[in-house]
Amino acid sequence: MKSLIAFGAVLLMFVMTIPVNADGKDELKQFYSKTADKVKATENADEKREILNESFNNMSNVLDKVLSSGLISESDRVGIEQYKATLQEKQNELEGINGYERVQDSQLNSFANYVVQDMEQADSTITISVIALLLIIIIVILLV
Amino acid sequence: MIFVGFGCMVLIIFLMSCSASIPVQQKSLRVENDTLAVRYSILFIIHGDGNYLYHDTSGNEHIADEEVLASAKIVAEKNPSAEVFIFHQKPRSHFLFFFPLRDGEFYYYRNGQLVANELYWRDQELANLDTEAEFYNSFRAESQSGIVRMFLYFGHEIPEFGGAGYDVSYPDRAFTVRDLAKGLKGFTKDSIKFDLMVLSTCYGGTPYTIGTLGPYARTIIASPDNLHLSYFDINPLENLDLSIQDVDVSAFAERFARQSFDRLKGEIQTTISVAVYDVDSLQEYLKSVYTTYENTLDTLNEKTQASLATVKHCDCADIPAYVIPNMNNGVNVFYRPALFGRSKNKLKHSGWECWKD
Repeated sequence: MKSLIAFGAVLLMFVMTIPVNADGKDELKQFYSKTADKVKATENADEKREILNESFNNMSNVLDKVLSSGLISESDRVGIEQYKATLQEKQNELEGINGYERVQDSQLNSFANYVVQDMEQADSTITISVIALLLIIIIVILLV
Repeated sequence: MIFVGFGCMVLIIFLMSCSASIPVQQKSLRVENDTLAVRYSILFIIHGDGNYLYHDTSGNEHIADEEVLASAKIVAEKNPSAEVFIFHQKPRSHFLFFFPLRDGEFYYYRNGQLVANELYWRDQELANLDTEAEFYNSFRAESQSGIVRMFLYFGHEIPEFGGAGYDVSYPDRAFTVRDLAKGLKGFTKDSIKFDLMVLSTCYGGTPYTIGTLGPYARTIIASPDNLHLSYFDINPLENLDLSIQDVDVSAFAERFARQSFDRLKGEIQTTISVAVYDVDSLQEYLKSVYTTYENTLDTLNEKTQASLATVKHCDCADIPAYVIPNMNNGVNVFYRPALFGRSKNKLKHSGWECWKD
């Protein structure tokens, strides 16, 4: 019993030394990576498009909810709108509208990787505060 | 009883580790045999106090700073003629929620062997590199003449203005290109420039960044556009005795840039740009555009956070004020546009990135 308590205490100490930098960006990055995994897991091009479209729509809806929540600052609002616009550009390219050539069926896996890489380095996430990012994540978890 | 004793001991050890102490400890592991030849001196600063998670195309998670730290250690071990300094700037963490732990880690390798490994504090008021410079000057080889010196920085885009929040653990503290330049003074006290500087960050290839860091390096490798978090490859630094023949650092820099470009091209769908700047050859261009660029930075500095969200980077070649005949002097660019997006048909990059104000 004593050894069990000692083990538990040591484990607790390790847990308590975890860096305090959970800022919500990890979850956003995982969201796009999981989408890409799903895209690559299917052979059917229509399904790939549906997965990508659904992912863009879900994230866009989440951003709308955060924007209309009244809980964010003006700079967050601008940052989130920029982020949403970046997302919309990706969706436009997927569908081939607003001056984009439609992404070819054979390029959909590559496009899914592009979305992951581009959103992981998107400038606009830098300008969104931790509070707004966490709000986005909470709604993603609840709704998506 | 045994458990209580054990607990107390652990607590005392941690409290001791949290006590205010001089950041640079005495050189208990100081190099004893200073007679072995050192031909290369490599200094790595790896910023990890931020979000550095990325996914590869198989969906595997990577933490960029941890990966480059592991690669830097391999470089250090595979260079019997080098001294290697590695500074890992980590996120702040606490023991039992209250007791801060040291958030910097220093490694010093000499002749392929780990000679020192110490933790240090980064909680000073300013984001300078004083502590790192103190370690560097304590451990470096006595004689620096004839040594090929390299400086490599890995991290997110180093801000050219503002800079608050670069270290996530210290959100009120600013870090900018100018702070890095000030820090570099501490590593170049004897006025010997670095033969090669590698800025493994996004948007390092701007007239301002290269102009501000140029006084400390002969050749700089940087990315004018976004750089994926898998960074530049550093394995060309392994076995430098074989890689750098006749101390031809500029030829080595070209090979280094080419290898990174080729690897990134195979894995990355976003824009890839790797540029090699010969600092002496581009002075004329920098003098011509520096004031224009600084004026833009002054304007941006006065903007609110909200209005800054819409400010973007662009190729300087897209802004007439920067397009002058000597623009390409001293710059060699390896570039491939993103495979998707608005810029996918942009086939060339000048090697200089500017702000689209």
